[in-house]
Amino acid sequence: MKDIRELIKEKRVYFDGGTGTVLQKKGLKSGESPEMWNITQPHKIVTLHKSYLKAGANIIKTNTFGINRNKFLNYAELIRKGIECAKKAVEEVGEDEKYIAFDMGPTGKLLEPLGDLPFEEAVSIFADNVKIAAECGVDLILIETMNDSYETKAAVLAAKENCDLPIFVTNVYDGTGKLMTGADPKAMIAMLEGLGVDGLGMNCSLGPDKMLDIIDEFAKYSSTPIIVNPNAGLPEVVDGETVFNINEDEFSDYMVQMVQRGATILGGCCGTTPKFIQKTIEKTKDLPYQCPTEKDFTMVSSYTHAVMIDKDPILIGERINPTGKPKLKEALRTGDLNYILNEAVRQADKNVHILDVNVGLPEIDETEMMKRCVSSIQAVTDVPLQIDTTKFETLEQAMRIYNGKPLVNSVNGTETSMENVLPIVQKYGGGLIALTIDEKGIPDNAQDRAKIAEKIIKRAAEYGISKKDIIVDPLALTISSNPESAVLTLESIRLIRAMGVKTSLGISNISFGLPQRNLVTSTFYANALQSGLNCAIMNPFADEMMNVYYAYRALNQLDTGCVDYINYASAVQGTVKNDVKTEETLHICIVKGLKDGAVAQTRKLLESISPLDVINKHIVPALNEIGTAFEQKKAYLPQLLMSAETASLSFEEVKKKIPSEQADKSKAIVLATVKGDIHDIGKNIVKVLMESYGFTVYDLGRDVPPEKIVECALEHKCKLVGLSALMTTTVPSMAETIKQLNETDRSIKTLVGGAVLNQEYADMIGADFYGADAMDSVRFAEKFYSD
Amino acid sequence: MRNSDISIITAKAENIEINKNELALRLKTDRGYNSELLEKCRKRFNETVEYKCAYIRTEVDLSQENICKFDFAEIESRNLYKNLQGCREAFVMAVTTGIAVDRLLKKLNVISQAEHFVTDGLSSAAVESFCDYASDIMKTGIKCANRFSPGYGDVSLEVQKPLLERLCAFETLGITLNSAYLMTPVKSITAIMGIIDN
Repeated sequence: MKDIRELIKEKRVYFDGGTGTVLQKKGLKSGESPEMWNITQPHKIVTLHKSYLKAGANIIKTNTFGINRNKFLNYAELIRKGIECAKKAVEEVGEDEKYIAFDMGPTGKLLEPLGDLPFEEAVSIFADNVKIAAECGVDLILIETMNDSYETKAAVLAAKENCDLPIFVTNVYDGTGKLMTGADPKAMIAMLEGLGVDGLGMNCSLGPDKMLDIIDEFAKYSSTPIIVNPNAGLPEVVDGETVFNINEDEFSDYMVQMVQRGATILGGCCGTTPKFIQKTIEKTKDLPYQCPTEKDFTMVSSYTHAVMIDKDPILIGERINPTGKPKLKEALRTGDLNYILNEAVRQADKNVHILDVNVGLPEIDETEMMKRCVSSIQAVTDVPLQIDTTKFETLEQAMRIYNGKPLVNSVNGTETSMENVLPIVQKYGGGLIALTIDEKGIPDNAQDRAKIAEKIIKRAAEYGISKKDIIVDPLALTISSNPESAVLTLESIRLIRAMGVKTSLGISNISFGLPQRNLVTSTFYANALQSGLNCAIMNPFADEMMNVYYAYRALNQLDTGCVDYINYASAVQGTVKNDVKTEETLHICIVKGLKDGAVAQTRKLLESISPLDVINKHIVPALNEIGTAFEQKKAYLPQLLMSAETASLSFEEVKKKIPSEQADKSKAIVLATVKGDIHDIGKNIVKVLMESYGFTVYDLGRDVPPEKIVECALEHKCKLVGLSALMTTTVPSMAETIKQLNETDRSIKTLVGGAVLNQEYADMIGADFYGADAMDSVRFAEKFYSD
Repeated sequence: MRNSDISIITAKAENIEINKNELALRLKTDRGYNSELLEKCRKRFNETVEYKCAYIRTEVDLSQENICKFDFAEIESRNLYKNLQGCREAFVMAVTTGIAVDRLLKKLNVISQAEHFVTDGLSSAAVESFCDYASDIMKTGIKCANRFSPGYGDVSLEVQKPLLERLCAFETLGITLNSAYLMTPVKSITAIMGIIDN
């Protein structure tokens, strides 16, 4: 029998239809698992499969959709029996071109970071299933009814790593054309084609009528055969009977349209029966067949959307890269993800399309840090990421856990780089930045740079990585030491673009070592765009760069009606920088929570008075005023928090003027939400307030084991520890933490708070102080350090 | 495979008026509290939220004392048993504000605690308000007992599992349970609302 990968390129093939809904008619009770019938009533499963095969279906789905080790203790047996049923049916029907798809549905758990199922655990659950299926012998793996891109990726990896079988994937889109966790078809196509699946598409949830709204997206972007397995419309109860609202005649008519609009593999899902499949085959079998053509789109994606690298310039935010950024280096050393996440969100708010993530510091475990960053950044922004590392292991691990199809920075023309990077990109899928440098260094002319690009493209093709996924960076060096660099780089860009290849540049390098760098960088950027540059790794906080970007798009018909430009220009006009209004003193700004004003006022004050005076005469009195108002119930918590955040910004300005060796690190506190408790809102409020009062806060986060808290207090010689708990069930773990702290060093004082606590409880568990609210806690901490 | 007796209710953000008392309670303010911060957070929340409810109308058997027998679970509870007195049927429901709200809260937790605190309060008040909205639709012309949620009184959170499965909440609402029986999206509510016999 022909490998199905070949068959689907030559002709239209057909899946079977619904399983569970048909079995319900054969007596399956509500709440009963259809998969149990593999053991209890196998003959009925065989009959069901046979009825679909006789109706003309080429592929039957094993009755294994809901089976995994978390749901069924006897999962292995259920899978084996399910496959046996399918094999028996195929054997008994005895026709050619009949295939068995091993069916895998979702685990029913949401993956981290939003849910609690770790990614590797999900891969392992699916891997267990795949191993059994491969051992039993099936013709392909079908991953279906997936409503989350991340879980889909876990299942595909499990299939790729545990068998050589063809992999088909269908996702569940809702009425808005998105998966439950947000991905649109384009994002799924980018990721799944990157992972190298053999068929992709949609199933379940919608009827064929609604799927028609989505099929065009698949036809436009997919180079892979497109699967469409709709429901028979939506279930309705009519006179106590469940019926689906689309019958086989209507269904098959819709499927004709589906074929005309690009679907190549057809079948059904809930509510469809052998009749639906039979009619669909009758009406579509003689229609001309067209396998999807190879599309020439360069796309990277996140878990919601794909970014197309084409005529419209792409901005890649460069701020998460420690080179020349002492604050980021410090954050990486101390593992302060909050700082990094803040940089990510701030850049995303500037509308960059992709975020570069580089966490390479010699003194840290780069792979672990990269994994933490990728995962955490993806929890707070859906901008696709560029994984930027020179370490192959780091690259592989980051690409593995990335939710989507990332951009990879980078491969170069050296043998070592190509032989290590290309297999990783082949496995996980990604856009790939290719640097025009090889063993001999960076060529001093454009032609030789283009030759290196050609070499990499050719080599990548051997790994099945398409030219469209390679983005060449001809390397901009600073003109301060390489006067010819700008001209040469621009020439390289034009040459490479003429080869039909996309380009990227680390644009800021051009001005290194010069004064007023943004002036040079932005002018070079304008030139590079004119020469055909696609992507720029750049600083989105440099206004000059953003000016060029928006103006270029307006000038080149990339911004219809200049809408983006006008919005940008009006926003720029609205922000009058460093505008110091005399009536807004720093005191008023803090009390009212006016962030911009506070920063400006602080800078102005620092011109005339000492940093310490700014703190003691302005920031602290203002904070005390709002704090007192809060205690007297004249101000509310949101106001207090706004003031605290404003004061923290002011503090940041002051700190810049205090040499680090003089910085007052004596006022410090370790904060944690105790083990077992994931509610950290109260702890975070205390943190903001403490910081606004100038405390150094060692924030350990939530669900923190006692040992870790003790270790942190000892490491930083910190004598004050604040613990929070929201649930009664976690108070014992608070008591255990206090016990361990006391046993280690009695001079460490504990401050506790949280919804379930009161003075009595606090006394009972041996805490030194009970903070009734955030302000109360700050007052105690202040007193603690002044005594 | 979704059971056919499950009904769905959705609502646009502008049609859900967030209950002022609930909001004041969450934000620890008085009922009339308003500010630029609150309005900024409200606008963004409204752009993010996707209200959705799934519910069934099902029989409840109260023939054994302190046992409420549904087709998806037998719940042993004095409080719920008392709450359902006089009912032979009940609405069983789950409502959510959608996964995008979780993402928004995670993002705000990084950039601003003030905005996070306010948006968290808004979301909590909003899911309660939407739950009221959906309940009102269900019980039009029907007399109902007060809504009762797993976790209240002596009803264990573990009831969430069969209840959500019965509502196919994963498929219909995207709700999943973690190992502590807490729901994602975090701003989701499950409830049972007895239908009082005429």
